[in-house]
Amino acid sequence: MKRVQLQRWSSTVLSPRARTVSRLHQHVFATGSRCQSTASPLQAESSAQEGPGDAGFEDVELMKHVRSAHRRKDMLKYPSPPVDAALNSAKLAALHARLYLPSRLPPQTLARALVDASADPNPDFNNESLATLGHDLLTYYTTEHLLCTYPRLPLTVIFAAMYAYAGPKTLAAMAREWGVEHASLPGGEVDPGLLQFRRVAPGSDLSVATYNNRTPRPYAAQKAWRMTVTSKIFYDDEFGDAIKGPATSGEGVTAELASATFVRAVMGAIYLHAGRPAAKRFFEQHFLSRHLNIAQLFNFSQPARDLARLCARENFELPVARIISETGRKSRHPVFVVGIFSGKDKLGEGAGASLIEARERAALAALKGWYLYSPLNVRVPSSMEEEGAAPWKPVYVDLGEVIV
Amino acid sequence: MATSIVASKRPFLSLPFLLPSWSDSLALGSRRYQSSYRRTKQRLRVKPDATFGSSHQGHDQIIYNPPSSAPSVYHTPSKFLPSNDARRSMRIENAGNATESVQDLPNVYRSDPERKYHLTPADVEEIRKLRLSDPMTWSRHKLAKRFECSPLFIAMVCEASPEKKQIQRQVLEAVQSQWGSKRRMAREDRKLRREAWGRDE
Amino acid sequence: MPVKGIKTVAAARNGVGAFILQCKRLDFHYCNYGGSSRGMLAFLTQTLPNFARENPQIEIRVSPRHSKHPIIKGHYINGREKSICVRNLEPNDILAKAMILKDASGEKLKVQKKPVTSLNESVRGIWSPYHGDLRGV
Repeated sequence: MKRVQLQRWSSTVLSPRARTVSRLHQHVFATGSRCQSTASPLQAESSAQEGPGDAGFEDVELMKHVRSAHRRKDMLKYPSPPVDAALNSAKLAALHARLYLPSRLPPQTLARALVDASADPNPDFNNESLATLGHDLLTYYTTEHLLCTYPRLPLTVIFAAMYAYAGPKTLAAMAREWGVEHASLPGGEVDPGLLQFRRVAPGSDLSVATYNNRTPRPYAAQKAWRMTVTSKIFYDDEFGDAIKGPATSGEGVTAELASATFVRAVMGAIYLHAGRPAAKRFFEQHFLSRHLNIAQLFNFSQPARDLARLCARENFELPVARIISETGRKSRHPVFVVGIFSGKDKLGEGAGASLIEARERAALAALKGWYLYSPLNVRVPSSMEEEGAAPWKPVYVDLGEVIV
Repeated sequence: MATSIVASKRPFLSLPFLLPSWSDSLALGSRRYQSSYRRTKQRLRVKPDATFGSSHQGHDQIIYNPPSSAPSVYHTPSKFLPSNDARRSMRIENAGNATESVQDLPNVYRSDPERKYHLTPADVEEIRKLRLSDPMTWSRHKLAKRFECSPLFIAMVCEASPEKKQIQRQVLEAVQSQWGSKRRMAREDRKLRREAWGRDE
Repeated sequence: MPVKGIKTVAAARNGVGAFILQCKRLDFHYCNYGGSSRGMLAFLTQTLPNFARENPQIEIRVSPRHSKHPIIKGHYINGREKSICVRNLEPNDILAKAMILKDASGEKLKVQKKPVTSLNESVRGIWSPYHGDLRGV
């Protein structure tokens, strides 16, 4: 596999373009066209110098003063801060250094990642495209890690683990832990180091907004109908939730959603500017390093029945529950330690205050022992992109979860 | 001597480890009737296991001292390992002294239910007909007794008629309406505890 | 559905993968006239540029505070702030105070009783009276 040279096409995709005609008409006297984050800083300089009244003032000092006043007034007209403001923001530079972002990622792009689509609807200036790319990268890296490390996990647990690693709640927590502050209102004059988004109006019902989603699932309005796990793969997103369409302009977003979009956009920006290895390293350092105990994500309803089905499927002997030890059977607080055996092998054991409880817990431990199997020397497919990677050996693929 | 009077009331013979100090202190004229902290700790001190001793020095050996804790779920049982996993062969050598006494352990249930597989499709049809025709007489348990199978099998084969379900629900509601707050809460707690088993809490 | 997933959030472990410096902003306040600010003024002109260059993660603000003692105020990611009064201190001592604020986590100071605090399970598990080498009583 050969690594794609990204630097080249990233600049063509995000080539500097003038703003839409309608907005140009709104402010004819504005300082020319807004330049994009990936444009060269030289152009930003030249556009700034094409300010109004260049010839009218002889005095340089006065001209400078007037121009800065004009610039401040112009900034108010933009929905998000101009690109050259990113170079003067202390907050932005501090955030760039705090995350140890690669130096190839310019502060202008980081500033763009901080502008949500609800603040600036123009797709050339908000973080929507970066976030889309970053979201795909995040989910890809998380999925391959989970599937290769725990090949037997049931799908519902994979959904929960994906949510725990790359869900909006986790991403919002990460943005908070990175020290990203929110601007109270977006605008051109705001410090570009603040996260800019339009908030949801107080008192608006969020559940109605989620109901109004654009899921491809047929008969989505039928709430009482059964939704199979398999259908979630086809119709729902990577967390097993209904897909929400793009927010219409004018609607606000919650702080959680805006923070999550920012984190995804940072991921996408690193991929575009510094390439795939840097993006992977960023993912490993910030996402995989978080603590998640996968064993606590299981919620069984009938573990004993599932275990019996599993043993029948795998041609093991029928599981038998046996008492390993017990104390105080006739007392108020008895404890039973029950093991589940298949033939002579112990599959799991559990302790409980009644025989039924101990047996259920033992069956649950046995099932977790099955599902949490992890092969030795796990490698993920994306490790083949590294220089001088060893030849690929196929990973362990399991038959699938127990179906009752 | 007030202390000696109080002390003499204690049953010394039930505390045999105090006896020597008692006999010593008699001679001295003063006596302890209570163990000090240090003495209690000293008695609780247990010698380390023999495997840790110096008798095995000189040979290469691995001390196997299993933790006194419940096994971790991340430790996959040998039976669940795929056939090509390296851990499988490693553990087989170790499992030479595997417990032969698994069969000796008592079963959680008194006896294993015997599986007979004796019912024919005609019997199943008969069960369904009986259950629908007279649900009050032919309950699950009565059908199970007649056809010598488990009530679970009856439930798998057929379902009660809607009228019977309605009657049963009314009976349940009538019973539950008699419950006081204590019983209701206890029942709800029991349900919550049972759900917590599934989450391993 | 035989098994359901429980939705949680993975817990952060700062320093396990990436390390985020917890101090996000340092405010330096001084007075142009007060004698207690003499050291602070020297610090701001001589030492602070170097300090800022060495610590790009920290946003630095310098502002006058008329007729008051000079202080340094640190703002932290957890939302708390800490301030130290540096009246009559020499530039070197002020640098030491700034380093204290830079290295702080922002939490209230508390006694650390354990040498290691970890989210990971212990290797030998939680002790249980029903497992291990049972001794007859």
